[in-house]
Amino acid sequence: MSLRILSAELLKIRRKFIWFLIFLGPIGVVGLQAVNFGLRYDYLVGKVYRDDLWGGLIENVTILMVPTLFIGLAILASMVAGIEHQTNSWKQTLALPVTRTQVFTGKFLLNLLLLLVSTTLVAAGTIVLGIVLGFGTGIPYGVLLKACYYPFLAIVPFIALQNWLSVTFQNQAFPLTVGIAGMVVSMFSIRFGDWFPWKWPYLINAAKEPLYSVACGLAFGLVVLAAGLAHFVRKDVK
Amino acid sequence: MNEWILETNGLSKQLGGRAVVNQLNLQVKQGDIYGFLGPNGAGKTTTIRMLLGLAKPSVGSIRIFGKDLRKERLSILRKVGSLVEYPSYYGHLNAIDNLETVRRLLDVPRSRISEVLEIVRLTKDAKRAVKGYSLGMKQRLGIATALLGQPDLLILDEPTNGLDPAGIQEIRELIKSMPREHGVTILISSHLLAEIEQMATRVGIITKGQMIFQDSIEALRRQAKPTIRISVSRPEEAWRMLLAKGLPVDWDQTRLTVGEVSDRTVASIVAALVQQDHDVYRVEEERVSLEDIFLEITGGEGSL
Repeated sequence: MSLRILSAELLKIRRKFIWFLIFLGPIGVVGLQAVNFGLRYDYLVGKVYRDDLWGGLIENVTILMVPTLFIGLAILASMVAGIEHQTNSWKQTLALPVTRTQVFTGKFLLNLLLLLVSTTLVAAGTIVLGIVLGFGTGIPYGVLLKACYYPFLAIVPFIALQNWLSVTFQNQAFPLTVGIAGMVVSMFSIRFGDWFPWKWPYLINAAKEPLYSVACGLAFGLVVLAAGLAHFVRKDVK
Repeated sequence: MNEWILETNGLSKQLGGRAVVNQLNLQVKQGDIYGFLGPNGAGKTTTIRMLLGLAKPSVGSIRIFGKDLRKERLSILRKVGSLVEYPSYYGHLNAIDNLETVRRLLDVPRSRISEVLEIVRLTKDAKRAVKGYSLGMKQRLGIATALLGQPDLLILDEPTNGLDPAGIQEIRELIKSMPREHGVTILISSHLLAEIEQMATRVGIITKGQMIFQDSIEALRRQAKPTIRISVSRPEEAWRMLLAKGLPVDWDQTRLTVGEVSDRTVASIVAALVQQDHDVYRVEEERVSLEDIFLEITGGEGSL
């Protein structure tokens, strides 16, 4: 059933610029790094990252990728929920023989899936950029995959949160404000303690173990998803 | 065990401390076109939302196909098609894709899509984005969506809202043909009696959240008794004279009316008037329209 819901959701987002956004994010991140490395090639490649060219590139990509993910997931959640809000299709969807839980998790999974595509594109784009910049083929795949997918996993609570907000509020101004504020806050999150959820996607913690951030993200993500579900299942539909 | 395909028992819904729907006992028989009538704000849409499980009743139960909606929501909804108020659609998709999003959840064969498009005569426009459709076409697409799962019960909330006369006619014909051709039972809500009158077999009238009439359309019509109005030169005098003769006439300072309309009575009234030298200007029959009855039982505040 979940698969059928997901396939219906995928059909609904056709021709809505959502796929465009999914590609735009990674292209932006990798493109900006191309400019960064292109303009400061001698400085960055010749001096700063001389010993670990790939490591340097991956680090720079990640620094841009996390804020982009924050803003991207908010816009995405808003667009995905907006499809139902626009003509108030909730009443039609929920009067079909599907449970509310399935509909809500369907939206969540769609967001998750689309962001996973974006993240994967960032990883692929990084490889292409590194090769174009002449960093050779000694690509540190482990480092790269961790640098891309760990933040994605640690950001799950925010995917759940934005999905919840966007589904709940017909007016998307509120969820978007929360999302944008979240992105800004996240950029200063290094100054906060390790308990601060906006810090997790940067994988920085006192123990210097990225997996702790990932674990926190996944656990808290489930909590937020469950809270959203509990609310959505009880809500009367307009 | 009972004949009702849809039955509510003491259904109530409180919203903000006010009973929007109050102790409603709705009963729809297999094969009915059930007209669910009431002025705006009477609680029709709230009731329908509860029937579809979109809103939870505060008190009371709903049984559809003899099953409790709370316990067997999914298996009931599988056989219910619905259209609530204005149609829901995805404007950026064409009609086929719109139906496909629903079909994937209902898991019916793909061929159903062209079948329902045929029924609502949208086959020609099926490949156009729905946002370019007229309201009537969107409404028809809504009905097509409702029919997709081959439902046994169709719940339509104000399906002719905002349509022009031609569109209303078209939807009406479509709805009328449905029980005949597809064996569906239909519950259709409206605030326009005239519209329901032409297709419903049974009616329920609700006002301020309460059911005040529920019976066949014929029973409603029977309440529309005709009266005879007589205008004469000196009405008050005529009234006294007729009463003295033992004829059943009413005088309300402006009009002389006769409740009993058998030919005999009318004949003797006219004869008496003529004998007493009254000038008889008019003897006319006045029919109370269903609209008037509707207004009367809904307390006159209903918009028609």
